[in-house]
Amino acid sequence: MKAKKGKISVMMGNVVAANVARLCRPEVVACYPITPQSEVAETMSGFVADGSLDAEIVEVEGENSAMNVCLAASVAGARTFTATSSYGLVYMYDAIMQASGYRAPVVMINVNRETPGIHAVSSGQQDMIATRDAGWVQIIVENNQEIADQLIMCYRLAEDYDIQLPVMLNYDGYYLSYLNEEVEIPEQSDVDAFLAPLKNQPQRPRIIPGAATGCGTHGMEMGYVEARYKHWAAMDRAKKKVDEIDQQFADYFGRSYGGQIEEYRMNDAEIAILASGSAAGTAKTVVDTKREEGIKVGLVKQRLFRPFPEERLIAALKGKKAVGVIDRSVGFGWKYGPMCTELKAIAPSIGNVPILSYIDGLANLDITIPHIGRVVDEVNAAAKGNAYQAVTWIPME
Amino acid sequence: MVIKHQWIFKTESPWSDANQKMLVLDTGGWRTERPVLDKSLCNYCGLCSLYCPPQCMRDKGDHYEVDLAFCKGCGICAHECPKKALTMKPEGEFTNEG
Ligand code: SF4
Ligand code: SF4
Repeated sequence: MKAKKGKISVMMGNVVAANVARLCRPEVVACYPITPQSEVAETMSGFVADGSLDAEIVEVEGENSAMNVCLAASVAGARTFTATSSYGLVYMYDAIMQASGYRAPVVMINVNRETPGIHAVSSGQQDMIATRDAGWVQIIVENNQEIADQLIMCYRLAEDYDIQLPVMLNYDGYYLSYLNEEVEIPEQSDVDAFLAPLKNQPQRPRIIPGAATGCGTHGMEMGYVEARYKHWAAMDRAKKKVDEIDQQFADYFGRSYGGQIEEYRMNDAEIAILASGSAAGTAKTVVDTKREEGIKVGLVKQRLFRPFPEERLIAALKGKKAVGVIDRSVGFGWKYGPMCTELKAIAPSIGNVPILSYIDGLANLDITIPHIGRVVDEVNAAAKGNAYQAVTWIPME
Repeated sequence: MVIKHQWIFKTESPWSDANQKMLVLDTGGWRTERPVLDKSLCNYCGLCSLYCPPQCMRDKGDHYEVDLAFCKGCGICAHECPKKALTMKPEGEFTNEG
């Protein structure tokens, strides 16, 4: 069975997110507005006001409450939705850890923006990085269509009985949140059909009024160890599940994103660039031009950030002669960018080749075609045995 | 990895009956004082039970009874009781009761 052709519209990233969240039929929505996410919260409220979404909107005084509302509703059995960014995400830090510790399948949009310390109302992945060890699945998308499609897949993943994990869908603030792009919005019946397999799964545990059930209140000693072990194991299972759901999405809707990672011209590539988010789109253009110049370069777009797509990255990068990683955030405590540091953990499995770290695109500074072109040239030179710089802050040079 | 651990929770998440498995930590051992109820003052409003952090108050139909295995003696119930029906008494007064 195939999905019907959806309605094609030109929509802003945030409005796409809200429209598709509506189609996923969340029962409880609690969002606190924050730039560059606000249209998600506003549009969701509008849907409930005009009757096109049958959900409980809980008006909260801040993001910490928003996450606690979603967590509570989720353990009561509801499908929940929230969206945040930057200051909002870190303001709910304890609550997001509660949500993952309770294994509550909350789905949250995080519109990437720089974090507190430096008041930058601008794009960057530092917020996502700051929450990487909170036990959530974190996925990064490249464009507005991918926001739409991945959001649907996020519900399949989060609520899957084998997974039961909260999922954070990240997209670049400003670059995508305010970008108007052509998007195909699926039909309601098709989204329902794609999410229907969840209904055939066993009922996940939930609070039942009258029955004194509780979740997560105490997990001392081996209770703690067991809960953490199960959470850790579920994170590992989530990797393959992301690939499976992507495959099923492709079969039904005809669009595929590669699951954990997208490989672009990687088959015969000798060197590779690793990037994520909207910058991956620019990187594809650069790969095409550099190929015309005779450089056999490919791109790995990292979509799944947590859990780390170890096996897929090894398979994609094994045998390549050098890799350049473009990070849109800073890894305090390590020289390299956060994604680069993680890639280095699997370096022995990909062949101990030069891995070059690039920091770029902080605070809305564009990751431009010349910037990525430079990365390709330097990675290419490193592959040939030339000396290279371990870390480069592109805007600083 | 061979797992020798006996599973505590039947579910993926740490779910269980809040009255049983969740109250696994014997917080009663922390207590230096315990709440003592004067039933003649109690109007069965339930505030003590609502505020009790470890949720160890048992509903007895016309009053609430403290489960001393878990009462940590924080005194919040006595503080919140609008009828002053609960008084915190030093554990020393109960040493013979074990
Ligand atoms: S709060 Fe006081 S009056 Fe109310 S039920 Fe408890 S002991 Fe009784
Ligand atoms: S003293 Fe504290 S722990 Fe004990 S019953 Fe009162 S509120 Fe609960």
